[in-house]
Amino acid sequence: MSEMWINMGPQHPMTHGLWNLRVRLDGELILDVDPEMGYLHRGIEKISEDRHYNEVITLMDRCCYVAGMAWEHLYILGAERALHVTPPERAEYLRVLCDEFQRLGSHLMWYAAFVQDLGLMSPFLYGMRDRDLVLDLFQSYTGARMTYEYMRVGGVRNDLPPGFTQQARKVLDWLTDRFREYDQLCLGSTIFRKRCDGLGVLKGPDAVRNGVTGPMLRAAGVKRDLRKDRPYAAYDRLEFDVALADGADVTARYLVRMEEMRQSVRLLRQVLDWLDGHPGPVVADRLPRWLGAPYAPVGAEGYLLKRQYPKGVGFAAVEEPHGEALAYVVNEGGEHPYRVKFRSPVFANLSAARTYLVGYHVADIPPIMGSVDVCVGEVDR
Amino acid sequence: MTGPEAETATEKPGDHPIAFVARPMATAARQFAKSLLRPSTIVYPYERLEDPRFRAEVAVAAGKPIGVGPVWDNYRGVHALNIATCISCNLCAFSCPDLCIEMVTVPGGDPKHPKKCPQIDYGKCSYCGFCSDACPEGCLTMTTRYELATPKRAEMIYSPQKLLEVFEQKLPMNPIRLERPENEDAVLLDPPLCIGCNACARDCPTQCITMLDVPRPDAKAGAKLPKRIWKEPVVNDSDCVRCGTCISVCPKECLFWGARP
Amino acid sequence: MSSATLYSVSFALVHDVLFALGRAVGGPVGAALRNSGLITGLALLVFAGILLIASLLNTIVLIWYERKLLGRFMDRRGAMHVGYAGLLQNFADGLKLFRKNTVRPREADGLGFYFGPTAYVVTSIVIFGVLPISSGWNAGALPLTLLLALTIFSFAPLFIFVSAWSSNNKYSLMGGLRSAAQMIAYEVPLLLAVVAVVVVAGSFDLTTIVYEQQNYWFWGPLVVALIVFVAAMLAEMERIPFDLPEAEAELVEGWNTEYGGMLFAFFMLADYLRALVGSILVVLLFLGGWTLPTWVPSAATSFPLAGILWFMVKTYIVFGLFVWVRASLPRVRTDQLLRVGWNRMIPLALLSVFLAAALVTVRCVPVFGCVPSLGG
Repeated sequence: MSEMWINMGPQHPMTHGLWNLRVRLDGELILDVDPEMGYLHRGIEKISEDRHYNEVITLMDRCCYVAGMAWEHLYILGAERALHVTPPERAEYLRVLCDEFQRLGSHLMWYAAFVQDLGLMSPFLYGMRDRDLVLDLFQSYTGARMTYEYMRVGGVRNDLPPGFTQQARKVLDWLTDRFREYDQLCLGSTIFRKRCDGLGVLKGPDAVRNGVTGPMLRAAGVKRDLRKDRPYAAYDRLEFDVALADGADVTARYLVRMEEMRQSVRLLRQVLDWLDGHPGPVVADRLPRWLGAPYAPVGAEGYLLKRQYPKGVGFAAVEEPHGEALAYVVNEGGEHPYRVKFRSPVFANLSAARTYLVGYHVADIPPIMGSVDVCVGEVDR
Repeated sequence: MTGPEAETATEKPGDHPIAFVARPMATAARQFAKSLLRPSTIVYPYERLEDPRFRAEVAVAAGKPIGVGPVWDNYRGVHALNIATCISCNLCAFSCPDLCIEMVTVPGGDPKHPKKCPQIDYGKCSYCGFCSDACPEGCLTMTTRYELATPKRAEMIYSPQKLLEVFEQKLPMNPIRLERPENEDAVLLDPPLCIGCNACARDCPTQCITMLDVPRPDAKAGAKLPKRIWKEPVVNDSDCVRCGTCISVCPKECLFWGARP
Repeated sequence: MSSATLYSVSFALVHDVLFALGRAVGGPVGAALRNSGLITGLALLVFAGILLIASLLNTIVLIWYERKLLGRFMDRRGAMHVGYAGLLQNFADGLKLFRKNTVRPREADGLGFYFGPTAYVVTSIVIFGVLPISSGWNAGALPLTLLLALTIFSFAPLFIFVSAWSSNNKYSLMGGLRSAAQMIAYEVPLLLAVVAVVVVAGSFDLTTIVYEQQNYWFWGPLVVALIVFVAAMLAEMERIPFDLPEAEAELVEGWNTEYGGMLFAFFMLADYLRALVGSILVVLLFLGGWTLPTWVPSAATSFPLAGILWFMVKTYIVFGLFVWVRASLPRVRTDQLLRVGWNRMIPLALLSVFLAAALVTVRCVPVFGCVPSLGG
């Protein structure tokens, strides 16, 4: 068969979203790939410039539909630094709680989608079922299952409901048992190993050169985790290990994500213990006065004319479930951010597709792209 | 073959292939036996997630840790509006990031100053809860109702009366109330600009603004007195809900936000 | 042997009706109606009609059965709403597909596009004509029913390839190529495993093969052949873990990407018809067909249609195993599949033939007992 280009996407079961992977094939062999993004661009950065600082949070949840909490955290960190606000300690622990539960939820979602790409049908349902428990927990304290709108500049919206920590511990116990089941279904399966071992190899230097971050980078043996390297929130006060693997292939990424989930459980247990013993305020008491109200006050022009507020620039880096996300928030003294810029980890991970796809077969594309953990919402923003 | 060798898949020594097919099959069979009586599905139109009965059933059957604790009350669903306590302060509409709230006149009340209550377009609403957080009187809250499907787009727009019906169903409501921060802005007056027109006091939803007399300065020879009514607004800060109506109606822009004295 | 078979019943029915008609009409027309050739032909038609309906009904129930079983494997319920426990759901789905418009891509080749699925489903139904479901069930006493069934079974890659190529879609073409390669590769071990059975049974007639299993079922001594047969059958049926021709993750829907409406229903139907044939062949060749072991009390086998009942039970259990495999294993890759086919399956199948020959030579196996005297 002569060479041919096929478009995998924008509507294709492999894409898990809305993007296009153009593949040049010789028979079943991949000669070249060309990822095309931008089908889901909603102009979130531009819309943010026209919104009140707290209102941008609603956009962050829609930025990444499986890791909304991590993106809220990212934006909030940037906005707080731009506005010179320090959250209280309990809010920082609550944010770690959100982040790690979100990591669990996102990785469970990744697991479900990844095994579905391999043709494994039941684990897909298992992953989704167990993710539902995490969503139940989110709902019990934020009031929503996917679009949380929980964090606020200077803290979080509300404290945990009574009995939350006990229930969360039960969920963690249940999940720990399930991880063993997942491993039996995947690592314990010869066909799975045959499909995944030595596939989609992206060595450390290549990964670093292409800006690949997150589990893909750690699967290549590079010890890089923002929670350790640039601690934010309460991570410097908590104990955990950076999940590492050295295979640099699909199996290694699977192992890294599984280990990360176990580490998340470990972190969450510490956080829950801390939260039980340290009641306190969840919102900073010294906020910019016009941010004090949770709403946008009227008379914006009046503000700008009559008062001058401190300007500032906020830069934040967060280890979200897919990798390193960065935010840059410019405060020019108004009640809207002057400019907001995000760096999506998945965008970089996808852009490097040529380095880890060429040379494999068509049938390898779904597992490899599945191991990247694509979330197009944040790629295109 | 170009590129990385795709066929390096090897079994670890000691991993027997047959056992490796058997292990996932055994796991699936275990799940099969477990869900034979009661799978985790909650059969939605017949069974409901918010009904603790079904959650408990699934929890017992599967050994799952759900169905415990007051999970459902926080849910941010359709709003409930208590028209009686609504003060028409506009804060919900101002705080809405999606601009889905419009203040519409409700029957009853002074014909000169009609009472306005929020009407919500659920086609646009993102259920962020900012409106109920902003409501100073707690009359606009979010309930656990989540079924809104309708064949007509116009039916997605809930009038205040319809929101009142939701309120009267006494659904569990979002119990979270935000505390007002201590260093909130207050409404301040720039006295030289004021003309004493009474617009702020007239439109204040909480009637916390009173117009007090100010001494009329003596007219010096040759100097013209400004043309104004010799009254000035005084804001009762403890009653003020920070809605900003006074600032937006002030014709001379003499009211502004500032640090509380 | 049960006294009345389906063919004898339909023959008697047609015979009585035509004779009554002929007597009523009288004259040369009446005599023509009583012609034995006409009666046999009509009886065959009635027989074929009943067979068609029975196989289609069974297929639809099979789909329901798979959905329910898969549901439990996945901690969910499967079809629930239409009919009792969703039993009528697939009828509703079929009806929906039947009402749908069939869209042919402009650049697709019309003849192949329509011919492929039609021929695929027709050949799949035809196999049922030669499969004995109970004693005396099959239409004609052919000595080579097994070979005939497998021959018709192996037509499929041709039709799949025709429909895939004529769809003028790259995904379809790749799916068709994969399908052809896979089916041809697994034809060989499949037939070799069958050879092992034939060596022991001494006949190509499925009825004879079943009766040769009265002392012991063949799955015990021929377990290697059974494993090869089941694995090859999974590949031939294109089910997980060997469903790469329609691997939805990379090929959308493989060779039936461009098909919708009734033509898609044909593919779906034919897939499950072939799955049913596969399960039936496993039961016939290795699990004693409609017979039960001799230690089962005779009350379980003596009531009317008992043979069919036990046959169906066995078939559904075998299909349940296929579903179990589907629920727990991922899909393999084409090159791995072909490598396993040529490098592992064929030697194993040859080994099974050798074992079968050894069994026939030795005659008696300690656990299972003696081979019956060779027939055929």
